[in-house]
Amino acid sequence: MTLAHYLTLSGLLFLIGIFGALTRRNIIGILMSIELVFNAANINLAAFNHFRHPGGVAGQAVALFFITIAAAEVVVGLALVLAIYRNTDTVYVEEFSLLKG
Amino acid sequence: MVEHAYLIPLLPFLVSLVILFFFDEDAHSPYAPYLGIATMFWCLVQSLVIFHQASSGAVHPWPYEGSWEWFSFAADSAGKGFSAAMPIGILIDGAAAVMLVVVTLVSLLVQVYSLGYMHGDPRFKRYYAYLSFFTASMLGLVVSNNLLVTFACWELVGVSSYLLIGFWFEKPAPAYASKKAFMTTKLGDCGLYVALLLIWAKFGSFKISMLAVSAATPGVLTPLAATAIGLGILCGAAGKSAQWPLFIWLPDAMEGPTPVSALIHAATMVAAGIYLVAKTYFIYAASPVAMEAVAWIGLITALLAATMALVAYDIKRVLAFSTVSQLGFMLCALGCGGYTAGLFHLTTHAFFKALLFLGAGSVIHSVHTNDMRQMGGLSKKMPVTFGTMFVATLAIAGIWPFAGYFSKDMILERVYGHNQVMFGLLTFAALLTAFYMFRMIFLTFVGDDRDHERHHHAHESPWVMLWPLCLLAFLSVVSGAALAHNGFFEHLVNYKLPEGLMTETLAPRLMPYAVTALVCGSIALSWFFYGRNDFTLAESLKARCSPIFSVLENRYGFDAIFLSLVAFSDRIAKFAFWFDSSVIDQFFVDGWGLITRICAELSGLFDNLFVDRTVDGFGGLSMDAGVLLRSLVTHGQVQEYLMYIAVAVSLFTILILSR
Amino acid sequence: MSFEAIVFYSLAALVLLSAVGVVTHRNTVHSSLLLGLSLAGVAGIFASLGADFLFAGQVLIYVSGIAVLIMFVVMLLGRASDLHLRQVNNQWLAALLICCISAVGLWRIASSFRGLPSPGPAKPSTALLGRLMMGDYAVPFELISLVLLAALLGAIFFSHTEKDA
Repeated sequence: MTLAHYLTLSGLLFLIGIFGALTRRNIIGILMSIELVFNAANINLAAFNHFRHPGGVAGQAVALFFITIAAAEVVVGLALVLAIYRNTDTVYVEEFSLLKG
Repeated sequence: MVEHAYLIPLLPFLVSLVILFFFDEDAHSPYAPYLGIATMFWCLVQSLVIFHQASSGAVHPWPYEGSWEWFSFAADSAGKGFSAAMPIGILIDGAAAVMLVVVTLVSLLVQVYSLGYMHGDPRFKRYYAYLSFFTASMLGLVVSNNLLVTFACWELVGVSSYLLIGFWFEKPAPAYASKKAFMTTKLGDCGLYVALLLIWAKFGSFKISMLAVSAATPGVLTPLAATAIGLGILCGAAGKSAQWPLFIWLPDAMEGPTPVSALIHAATMVAAGIYLVAKTYFIYAASPVAMEAVAWIGLITALLAATMALVAYDIKRVLAFSTVSQLGFMLCALGCGGYTAGLFHLTTHAFFKALLFLGAGSVIHSVHTNDMRQMGGLSKKMPVTFGTMFVATLAIAGIWPFAGYFSKDMILERVYGHNQVMFGLLTFAALLTAFYMFRMIFLTFVGDDRDHERHHHAHESPWVMLWPLCLLAFLSVVSGAALAHNGFFEHLVNYKLPEGLMTETLAPRLMPYAVTALVCGSIALSWFFYGRNDFTLAESLKARCSPIFSVLENRYGFDAIFLSLVAFSDRIAKFAFWFDSSVIDQFFVDGWGLITRICAELSGLFDNLFVDRTVDGFGGLSMDAGVLLRSLVTHGQVQEYLMYIAVAVSLFTILILSR
Repeated sequence: MSFEAIVFYSLAALVLLSAVGVVTHRNTVHSSLLLGLSLAGVAGIFASLGADFLFAGQVLIYVSGIAVLIMFVVMLLGRASDLHLRQVNNQWLAALLICCISAVGLWRIASSFRGLPSPGPAKPSTALLGRLMMGDYAVPFELISLVLLAALLGAIFFSHTEKDA
């Protein structure tokens, strides 16, 4: 297995995540897609660490930080989803357009 | 000890600051005077040690000079740049050693005396701070080896004299007198300042020892430059030492506290002028014209002041005029090449003049008036004051074996050798001195009491005021003989004039005896007029010669001349003010302002009409564009924004792949 | 095909298929379950890369933490009518196009790394990672804990209701 395999895998995962974030109507679906994007990035980090710096762990450490940040993001994001749902009684993003100028 | 001579001016200076800033403004503050006195005592001890070392020849090299670099700066001479260093330091020669002792001793005694005289004054502590400051300035002037520092100390002396003469500034007369003294001496300082500029231009240095060497080198100092510099310094000295025609401030300076007068007249201020001439004697040695001018100024002053003293009734003014006259003697001696004689008289005169002033202060303290017509017969009430003042009067009159005899004799001898007309006039001035001094003694202490009320309340002063008198009386008796003994003073303080400048005509051996005899005659005449308790003769003389008397009382009109001078300059100043305010201000300044304003208005118009509009236009344009774009693209959907980002990314991807 | 390749391809298939399921499935509950599966697959990928601690962290945080949390919220907010609604919006064709374009770019980048051989079996890295966290990365480590705290407080702030206060 070469680095290219892993990069291809992570790239595909990333694009699937982006596709989901662009197309899901459900706000929770968007959150889940973003998690996929995060994981693609983590695979990248771990793969580069493994192939370019065998024996080193800096990439894994950064991936660990990413996981932590992602956890925090999910917690806040879900709290926001709950708050939005409580206020608007919906989870479909096209139904709230507060950003309209 | 001589290496640490810089302490002598520095300590009183610091102490004056300490007293001024760290002691309470309290009439009963008991420590401020003792701090000043202790410091001055230490300075006196140090001065005496230096004097002893100097006189016993223990200082090598002699004269001692300690110099440090003060600052340096880039200078330019004849197109050649160099770094000029300004030294600061001490120069102890014979004259300085003597002056140190004189100044510290008189200052110490004056400070002790002031304990009694100024007792209970509301600004007691400030008085002592000023005294220390005054003395410190004078000491700095004495020891400095740099003419610039000397000049600075010179001005500090002027400032502190201003503060002390105007010490009782609530009263109009002292305030006026302090201003007069300050401005008059400033007039003289202008000349000194010009002289300093010339010295720098000529020598490129202010270090006195270096100047002396350069001045003695042939070809460095042209006679013309030497004359100009010498006259400038003489101008400053005339202001400070109250010489003709700038003596007008000294009689008014009597408004200050009497111990201050003693200090000014004996040690600090008026001695500064004489000392400066002596310190820059090498300049005069190069210019016979300046030398002659010094001699004549001194002579004229000696004569005029002596005649003015004849008619004064204020006891302190008599003494003031006598000081002016005696300073004239010294200057005359210096001008005749009598370097030693002038400084010798400066020394002895310091002792007996301080004594006279302190004695007069004691009298004034006792009878509360300056007017001798309200005194008389005080000898019984104040025996110590009378005795000491009598000694001083004998000394100033020049009776053997008192101090004045030796110094005055030395001066007359030197003047005789120089110019015999001058000698005659100066001898006449000496006779007048004896006359008016004894007139003062007779009017004050002898005869009947003319004011019974004051006489009744008169009393001897406390001992704190009397023992400085006794010490000074002792010095007035012995200092002349002791210093003149075996040419001691001449050996210590000497200046070798270049060969050929001096015409050594020895005075006849009988000259001192003749002069003494004439002085005795003058004293007898004084007794005849004033000592017999019968003033009819004096009154009739005054009635018969009233024009002369009024001229003398008006001080030859010099005050009026100076006042008209002031009025004249006032008129010039008023014209200048008018010119300034109506021509320069209204026409040039205001006109220029008007032009500027019109330009500003035009510029503002341009700014508003064109620049601002342009800026506003651009702002409006981007705003309109923003509104347009917003209506085109936004529906407030997050995913739509994300879509734009993704489209942009894919566009970049295409861009990169197509390369 | 080596054992390693079999493992990789099967894990990759698991990850990608379940990820496609996540973004396309109409039922959000199923989506979230598939997300858990996909994340577990990623954990396997980590294991195959020798990142043993990342594997553990992935399983603990993502699979058993985040995925479960999302499931809870989906169930909390879900309604029966959702199953009959379209879950994909109308820009899916554009999104697909963009993804295809980007995929070409990513493929070009990935293929440039094809020549790199595998460095062989990896060593355990947990101890090294721990030393790094307590050593050079101590400050970021502490800062991350601060971020977690902020997230905690933020979550509480956003989700509490007026009634509870």
